[in-house]
Amino acid sequence: MAQCLTAEGEFGNPASASHAYGDAAGALVETARAQVAACVGAAPAEVIWTSGATEANNLAIFGVAQYYCEQGRHIVTARTEHKAVLDPCRELERRGWRVTRLAPDSAGVIHPGQVADALQADTVLVSIMHVNNEIGVIQDISAIAAACAQHGLARLHVDAAQSVGKVGVDFAQLGADLMSLSAHKVYGPKGVGALLVSRRGGREQRAPVQLTALQFGGGQERGLRAGTVATHQVVGMGLAFELARTAPPSEAERIAVLRERLWSGLASLGGTFRNGDARRSVPHVLNASFEGVEGESLLAAVRGRIAVSTGSACTSALQEPSYVLRALGRNDTLSESSLRFGLGRNTSDSDIDTAVETVIQAVSRLRKISGA
Amino acid sequence: MKYNELTLRYFQTAPASGVLSGADVYRGAAGNRAHGTWVQFDLQVSGGIIHAARFLAFACPHTIAASAWVAEHAGGPLSRTALPGGVQDLSERFAVPPEKRGRLLIIDDAWAAAAGSALQR
Repeated sequence: MAQCLTAEGEFGNPASASHAYGDAAGALVETARAQVAACVGAAPAEVIWTSGATEANNLAIFGVAQYYCEQGRHIVTARTEHKAVLDPCRELERRGWRVTRLAPDSAGVIHPGQVADALQADTVLVSIMHVNNEIGVIQDISAIAAACAQHGLARLHVDAAQSVGKVGVDFAQLGADLMSLSAHKVYGPKGVGALLVSRRGGREQRAPVQLTALQFGGGQERGLRAGTVATHQVVGMGLAFELARTAPPSEAERIAVLRERLWSGLASLGGTFRNGDARRSVPHVLNASFEGVEGESLLAAVRGRIAVSTGSACTSALQEPSYVLRALGRNDTLSESSLRFGLGRNTSDSDIDTAVETVIQAVSRLRKISGA
Repeated sequence: MKYNELTLRYFQTAPASGVLSGADVYRGAAGNRAHGTWVQFDLQVSGGIIHAARFLAFACPHTIAASAWVAEHAGGPLSRTALPGGVQDLSERFAVPPEKRGRLLIIDDAWAAAAGSALQR
């Protein structure tokens, strides 16, 4: 990445084909494109650079909605999607589209049959995430894609920001039309991502998905995302995806063992509830609710020693219960008193022990103060 | 969420947390756990004097800290049902953000219920 930021390095504009500096930068961009594509089972030409998964989600949702608006104005998504999907859908609703938001079961699973049942004659887009960012549950994208393919008109967009490096991702095999990716979830730089745009046409040999571009300028990225490509950022993303692709399977097994050790320690408290189906979730996420403690106090009590997220969306002074956990049927109190633990490459046995000890101390103290 | 130094100290140490027992102990509570805030005070009162106070709270750090401070500073003549320091003073002392000041009224209600119970005796 640093090589692209100095005059001595590959400082050229990758879109400038009129000089060697541009060619050199362009070659780095194409290498990164191939690295990302290889990691997720896509063709390099299917990779469209964006500023991150949020932009990729917006491009996919608005792009499909606008391109196919004469054929239909109905979208299917899930209540547990990331805000970067829910908010664009809400904006389209404001503009006159109809949106069906599927409710997951109590384990966080959206069943393919639910998607099939929700499809209407004018459904143009289904947007379902691969791995949920709060609870780690993996959806059966392949079966959902089959339901969309049978429908004919409906295109499938998958937010896979949380998937790469945690669970196998094969864009072609999954059968999605569009897939959003993020670099920083795979230890890459922040501020870069990609949208995979299928050129296959899916299982039923449909015409490849089409998008209306949201920004215009130099025609970069097949005309779908105008603007000079941030060479250093995409180089970082390419390397991050290359490292994810070549990581040994034993790493995921190691993290799965750590996660179960963490859960076992937390469960010893009693009054602890695991959120999401552990049998079909990525090993890197553990989400648990703690009975008898208030959410903000729980987070404040542990934050000095461990870095975790709460189940609340702390977007203002007043916290809101997690809409994901509420969609699973958790009540407001348990939705608020949850912690999301993220495990990764650098997580060690002693980190788990510290987390368990810290949370047990905090929950025990707060329960005592609350008389629970 | 940011907390001032006093809030952090009282939240982390929670002095005077717990319950009291005995014939001269008066209890009052307010709020609702299901709604996110619940506070209880126990006051040990004899001869019109508060000799000890304890609190329990299912609440945010601001509310726990303010309740702890109230219980710690509760000793003295029981001449009124008003909260020691008052809601405005607590709000400023613990830098409670405007959106959360309603929670101080729950502390006020819990104190009034406990003190009122002792005064009625």
